[in-house]
Amino acid sequence: MIAYAARRAGLGAIQVAAVAALAFALVELLPGDAAVALAGDRPDPAVIERIRERMSLDEPAPARLADWIGGLATGDLGTSLVSGRPVSAIIADALQPTLILAGVTLVLLLPMSIGLGVAAARRRGRWPDRLITTTSVGLYAVPEFALAVLLVSVFAIGLDWLPPTAVGAGSLLDEPLVLVLPVLVLLARPICSIARLVRAGMIEALDAEYTAHARRAGVPERTVVWAHALPNALAPAAAQIARTADWLLGGVIVVESVFVVPGLGTALVDAVNARDLPVVQGIAVVFGVTTVLVNLAADLVAFRLAPRLEVAS
Amino acid sequence: MKRRIETAVIVTLLAVPLALALLGPLVPFAGGERARPFDPEAPWPGTDHLGASVLDGVLDGGRGIVLTAVAATALAYAAGFPVGLAAASTRRRWLDELLMRPFDLLLALPSLLLVLILASIAPPTAWTLVLVTASVNLPDIARITRAAALDAAHRPAVEAMWLQGEHPWRIATVHTARSILPTVAADAGVRLVGACYLVAAASFFGVAGPEANDWAVMVDANRGGIFLSPWGVVLPAALLVALSVGLNLLFDRLLSRRDTP
Repeated sequence: MIAYAARRAGLGAIQVAAVAALAFALVELLPGDAAVALAGDRPDPAVIERIRERMSLDEPAPARLADWIGGLATGDLGTSLVSGRPVSAIIADALQPTLILAGVTLVLLLPMSIGLGVAAARRRGRWPDRLITTTSVGLYAVPEFALAVLLVSVFAIGLDWLPPTAVGAGSLLDEPLVLVLPVLVLLARPICSIARLVRAGMIEALDAEYTAHARRAGVPERTVVWAHALPNALAPAAAQIARTADWLLGGVIVVESVFVVPGLGTALVDAVNARDLPVVQGIAVVFGVTTVLVNLAADLVAFRLAPRLEVAS
Repeated sequence: MKRRIETAVIVTLLAVPLALALLGPLVPFAGGERARPFDPEAPWPGTDHLGASVLDGVLDGGRGIVLTAVAATALAYAAGFPVGLAAASTRRRWLDELLMRPFDLLLALPSLLLVLILASIAPPTAWTLVLVTASVNLPDIARITRAAALDAAHRPAVEAMWLQGEHPWRIATVHTARSILPTVAADAGVRLVGACYLVAAASFFGVAGPEANDWAVMVDANRGGIFLSPWGVVLPAALLVALSVGLNLLFDRLLSRRDTP
């Protein structure tokens, strides 16, 4: 376990370094003079000069790379080209709504998708299974923004049950109704993929010799399903749960934009539209590092659940 | 019987958006004079943010999404398939690592984040959308091609060809590439669904530039008037959902039929 964890953590460290390097490379990839490119439609010499000074573009690239890495280590991510505020302050302000959205979604996601997958596997071939399977295949790749506006027009405008956006809500936690539609949209895709994997894993586990043996030995069916079959079915799903962190972060960007939640996703979209590169870089590092860490954690959990899988591969 | 109902559902879900996407731009639609934006009194389905009829946008907006997704998938295969094939066929381990390792790093990033970041430094045009979607799909395609080709490239038949002094390049293109085609073709459907999703999401965020007017852009542009003229948002969104659900069910069906003949 320790050898595997060390190896896996080493890969994670390399990935984090690559994310930081990629974010830095964004400036180098800009065509021509970076300051002119960032000034965009209004190439005012004063604006160009300010951008050049804020991002210290006059210094050679290796010196700026050293600065960037040193800044990352101390939490200094530069200043916004638009507002002049430190990027770390912008991220700190936007962090809370995003964490609430992602946290609530994750808390609901695991029990719901595992429950659906187990339910479908136990009623294999009958109508609950067909319904769950067909729905999860169908919803698997629906774009979040389309789902979101459809839900808004039915539940917020047609029926007037829920608020259409988070505008005017103080903290998301104070007004739980605001959270209902965004969390529903965020849940849609990950639930489908995890439920399908859990179903497939459970079908295999329930057909295995050891479950048959446990049943013959008189172990209650509930214990067989939840204590013997499920851990084995979950190991392959754990990797997919990590992949859904990818979707969850992508979904957060869309959902925040549609429901006007002032979180990291909205900050990223605004920064992309304004070509505010230091903010884009900072948020890219936060999202990238989060994804790497989640993948790392999931691989370790999967290894803990079923160590033989890693040996086999 | 149940299969028939499923087939009918898939055909209906796909027929409407695909027909609109392919034939919509050909329909001569006299848009008439422009009315007020989001006019609630305009004839169904109302007017959009510029005061043009929503129907006009719906007819014109499908082609861009479908063509971009198809072009991006084709481009991703054109680049990813040779890389995966080369990585699997080579007998030099360092070349395999050199070709595939960078993709592991790309896969560590959320795909929509990658799209937005690339869009932040590229000029907003329709081609940017194709290139960005293709490059996000590339790592998966290279990995699947490599996994399929590894098996085919180490069969006894290949060993025999090696011993006969057949050129490695010829073995890879004539033998290996041909024998993995069915696997890769089956995977292409999944990639197309993924490309549709990414194209729509990226277009919604304006990656295709101000000139674009596809269904995703319509949803974004008409969001502000959703209370006055909801059809301007609901119609394109519903078409996108129908398209992706239909494609997904269709390809899932083709795949499962292939697995259980």
